[in-house]
Amino acid sequence: MAARLLVVAGLLALFALAPALRRRGRRRLAAPAAHPPVPATLIAGAERTWVLFTTPWCASCVPVEEQLRAADPSARVVTVDATRDPALAGAFSVRSAPTALLADRDGQVRARLVGAEAVSRYVQA
Amino acid sequence: MAAAAAQPIDPRGPRFNQAALVAGLLIGFLFDFRPVVPAYAVVLLLGAAFGPRYGPFLRLYAAVIKPRLAPPRALEDPRPPRFAAAVGVAVLAAASLAFVAGAPGVAWALALVVAALAGLAAATGLCVGCEMWLFYARRRGVRLVA
Repeated sequence: MAARLLVVAGLLALFALAPALRRRGRRRLAAPAAHPPVPATLIAGAERTWVLFTTPWCASCVPVEEQLRAADPSARVVTVDATRDPALAGAFSVRSAPTALLADRDGQVRARLVGAEAVSRYVQA
Repeated sequence: MAAAAAQPIDPRGPRFNQAALVAGLLIGFLFDFRPVVPAYAVVLLLGAAFGPRYGPFLRLYAAVIKPRLAPPRALEDPRPPRFAAAVGVAVLAAASLAFVAGAPGVAWALALVVAALAGLAAATGLCVGCEMWLFYARRRGVRLVA
């Protein structure tokens, strides 16, 4: 029984620590170097471009797009339907919508926001 | 499965299912209550094979918990968690067979692997079985629905 308790306690400790470890890992993965350059056709020479990955079922994507346009009026905002362009979505490891990427003139990804709440936090920061 | 047939789901449903699985398996392990392993194999099988409507904990989430929560921030494709559940069914079935074969150590080890992966998914959202399906989907160009 004591050994079993120890195993269960170890697993519960792992579950308790896992979210913090995953957040650290995510921050590392989210470094700009992890992303390929955004295609020049999307950038179109703009200084700053938001690439917003959406799906037809994404209820929060339209408000998020409006939020980005309002918060960053000088930036170009491009929406990409991930179901119509799965290759592009896959290249940027898009797992859910909305996912927003901020790219500079060279197509380098400077920020990656996943979910409407992340966008809200970013634009309010 | 055609992409058009897959409707996006609230990702909190599978995470609730995973949390229930962990709780059941860990309590079962603690008290050496072996029927919990095949019982959870059946629970997972119902959701994986027939969809969330047939998974008892998924139904519980949809009927009781979800109405009390805010809408999800994002939806997810249902196929990765269903695949992950199918992997869980296979391992729990193997664990059940190990009990029948008189190898409870092997059986509990397999069940604890499932509990560990389900707990990781419930706690962090990192679902190893889902990642396996997504790896396959990317290689095959399968379209995600969320």
